Amino acid sequence: MDIAALQHIAATNVWGAIWPELSLGCLALALLALEIVLPRAAHRHIPAVAVLGQLVVLAGVLLDWHSPWLGRETFSGLLRHSSEGQAMRVLFLLSSIAVCLLGRLNLQKSAMPRVEFSHIVLVVAAAMMLLAQSCHFVMFFVALETVTVGFYILVSYCRTNPLTLEAGLKYLILGSLSSALLLFGIALLYGVSGNPLLSGHTPAGMHYSDLAAFLAANPHQWLAGLGIVLVLSGVAFKIGAFPFQIWIPDVYQGAPTPVTAFLAVGSKAAGFAALLGLVRYAFAPYTWLVIPVLSFMAAATILFGNLAALNQHNVKRLIGLSGVSHAGFLLLAVVSVGATSLAVGAIYFYLLAYLIASFAVFGVMAHLAGSDDTNQQLDHYAGLARRQPLLAGVLAVGLGSLAGIPPLAGFMGKFFVFVAAFQADHYGLLAVAIAGVVISIYYYFGWIKAAFFEAPAGPSEGASAVTVGWFSGVILVALALATVVLGFYQGPLGRWLTW
Amino acid sequence: MFPAIFTFLVLFTAVCAAGVIVCRNTVNAAMCLLLCLVGVAGLFVCLEAYLLAFLLLLVYAGAVVTLFLFIVMLIDVRGGAPRARNPLATVAGIIAAALVVGGLASFWVRGHLAAPAASATPALGASLKAYAYPLFTAYLLPVQVLGFLLLVAMIGVVVLSRKPDPGPKP
Repeated sequence: MDIAALQHIAATNVWGAIWPELSLGCLALALLALEIVLPRAAHRHIPAVAVLGQLVVLAGVLLDWHSPWLGRETFSGLLRHSSEGQAMRVLFLLSSIAVCLLGRLNLQKSAMPRVEFSHIVLVVAAAMMLLAQSCHFVMFFVALETVTVGFYILVSYCRTNPLTLEAGLKYLILGSLSSALLLFGIALLYGVSGNPLLSGHTPAGMHYSDLAAFLAANPHQWLAGLGIVLVLSGVAFKIGAFPFQIWIPDVYQGAPTPVTAFLAVGSKAAGFAALLGLVRYAFAPYTWLVIPVLSFMAAATILFGNLAALNQHNVKRLIGLSGVSHAGFLLLAVVSVGATSLAVGAIYFYLLAYLIASFAVFGVMAHLAGSDDTNQQLDHYAGLARRQPLLAGVLAVGLGSLAGIPPLAGFMGKFFVFVAAFQADHYGLLAVAIAGVVISIYYYFGWIKAAFFEAPAGPSEGASAVTVGWFSGVILVALALATVVLGFYQGPLGRWLTW
Repeated sequence: MFPAIFTFLVLFTAVCAAGVIVCRNTVNAAMCLLLCLVGVAGLFVCLEAYLLAFLLLLVYAGAVVTLFLFIVMLIDVRGGAPRARNPLATVAGIIAAALVVGGLASFWVRGHLAAPAASATPALGASLKAYAYPLFTAYLLPVQVLGFLLLVAMIGVVVLSRKPDPGPKP
């Protein structure tokens, strides 16, 4: 081994470039240390430390937006820093902060350890950030596995509930299956790209740009195509796209509400960030294969999610299946990525609007959840507007945004995605998507109708004694306001979209 | 001398592998698996792939099979009455065996990949350094992330397996 070459490689390990991830990791360790050091009475303040620490990191990321490492690769080509990566960092931080807040609300009801919850959420958020910036399959897989293992634990966190246990087992088994598919795909791609009998073979087939160069030299290699399809299948599982969405209703219902929110928003956003990296960089020469596969997935996902959500009465299952259809809309934008520059910005805006609206809805759900977290029916929302006008108002804004009602942020998100699809000439997909939006209005408005126009059937469990603390109230109102404001004014975000 | 050791190890591995399937007692089957892995590690040593041999011993024989044994002893599996054979499983087994034999035969007949000269192959398998240097330079970040992965997994085991806190929480 050449020592000078090694020193050259080691010099690319710029730890300063990933300071947000590092600080989240250190914060996670510090929480555990605090639990050991502090007296038992002070333990209930530790989750607040986690939230404050994340707010500091978030402020730092926003201040450091034009980081000197943007547009460069560090860690010998494992990571690529870009302004999109910065946007994903902000998204993941926002969602992990919201999940920690929801966790404080929700875990008070069941006597589960809270410090460990914050710890795992922090580590998962840091791994998602790394996943969004990775441009090397080793980094990609390690970060993805860290996210997945964290979620295995979070999903089965309240294991005393049999439904939660079922959800945890299903997520574990199907998650391992998807990881296996992904790994097999990566191995095939690495093996094919290293085959000395093929032109343009490279020993560095794990790296996205080297792999893309190899794929460009062999545009119709069937084994590489198989590898690509397997990798896409593995990622489709994470974002819950058809036909890998079967786990979603059960897992969303069984997982504790904060974890459901994290799965719906954080995990999906991480999956799309990874998918964008693959489609734009690694698999770019294989659009003949990637576009049809993803187009089929998008159409089937939109139709399946919306149709299956129609007759759900459990709100967690409903929001899970509506999340499937949102993954379909986002896939529509991913399909258009090669043809128009609007598509990437549209995805990030959609994710942001989806994040804000989802957390508004999940915040209301966490308040209204009774002692059995998995049993949240539409009937429990009957007459909510009279009992809790604030929660009902926030719920209406959040659901309206998810449905895509103008002038809320969700409408603008869908609008950008549809314009991108139109510019990329995907008219058939566009028709399916618009049909999907129309169907989705039915079940979102069924929920709103229950909250506003139905009289409560009787004294339902939990709903009578809901109190909204001033802090949660402020956050919920802020989320609702953000949804309204983003619908009218995109500000610097709009400029960023048109890059 | 050397081919004799190699042949002995091949036979040893094959017999132990057969033992894994044939043994009715689960503990004996796991022990056979352990010996089989030791035999494979011996084969790797004969082929001068020392690192692979020791990884096999450490990871599979040391950790995985020990885990099997722990679980087998923990849940105390007894070999009961032999299960009725599923005809589908028999057919699947025959097809799988035919595929393996066919693949090997095709390698035997048609495989003419030129073997590189022994001196030209880098002694990758023999050298720990060739693995260790990239691990702690080029792949340092994934190694660190894996540390966090293991930590999260460990915390998860503790959280999920401890009894729910009975004390009232203020």
